[in-house]
Amino acid sequence: MEFLLENILNLIGFLVGLSIGIMSFIGFRNTGSPTLFRLTIAFFSISLGFFVIWVGYMAEDLIIKSGSIAKWVQTLGIAIQTVGYFFIAFSHSIKSFFPKSRYFRSIGVFPLFLISSVQIEHIFRAVSFILLAYAAIETMLSYFENRKKGTISVSVGLSLLALGEFLGWYSFLFPESILYYVSMIIKIVGLIALFIPVSKVPLTKIKFDEGLE
Amino acid sequence: MYKKMAEYRTHMKIIGDILSTTQDDLQDENGASVTYLIRKANISHSRISRILKTLVSQGLLEQVKSQRSNKYRISQSGREFLQAYYKFTNFADSFGLSI
Repeated sequence: MEFLLENILNLIGFLVGLSIGIMSFIGFRNTGSPTLFRLTIAFFSISLGFFVIWVGYMAEDLIIKSGSIAKWVQTLGIAIQTVGYFFIAFSHSIKSFFPKSRYFRSIGVFPLFLISSVQIEHIFRAVSFILLAYAAIETMLSYFENRKKGTISVSVGLSLLALGEFLGWYSFLFPESILYYVSMIIKIVGLIALFIPVSKVPLTKIKFDEGLE
Repeated sequence: MYKKMAEYRTHMKIIGDILSTTQDDLQDENGASVTYLIRKANISHSRISRILKTLVSQGLLEQVKSQRSNKYRISQSGREFLQAYYKFTNFADSFGLSI
């Protein structure tokens, strides 16, 4: 039952993240915008993170059958998601602090997490929480400027992802409790909240133009 | 008295403004002159010259040569780009970002 729940939740996270990533990629291909490129990396990373954990659970359920998912698989998935959260926060930091920097606007800075520790999953979750909380606050501030409903939905989504990461980190203290599942459900609701404004972007008349590259 | 700071426009936003002017706000059917675009897009001559050259080379704008000066008109590719630009501006706005 636990494995089934984990499978479903991680699969939903993978699909929602992938959908937003594809939308961002289409936008990047059509406009060449560096912001959309960073969002593409962010949501493909988040999606891939969920996918890695989902594959870990599926492999455990169908092949390995040891009773618990390998710790390194879970850590790897969370680390990949953290990279995604980093790029969302990074886009906001560029907008707020380096609006004229061609260097930061044109390329991404890849985060370097070279910390060796058994508790590395704790660190990734803590970093994810900080990045998501920062991005949620910046998005909320943007809402006060543009007053668009989609922006508040994204801000709520990022806040829920931050809360989900926090509860996921906190659940280490109570490993047998329901906290971890609550954190997963909150994260999925957060991703769906992110998807709501994205789903309203009409793509029917947009086509790829190879000449723009 | 409080005075709002001028908003920084990204390169993409400037391109959007230029294409939008050539689509919706034309002086005549031949297109918009450089001087008109400079005024509408609020950008220096040297910078707009570089941007116009790029937009023409990528097929987003058509250059119409007249007796007095060159005029610029949006192409079909430019219209499609502008359509995508508007849609994904809204998309990025939802994330509190600008493209």
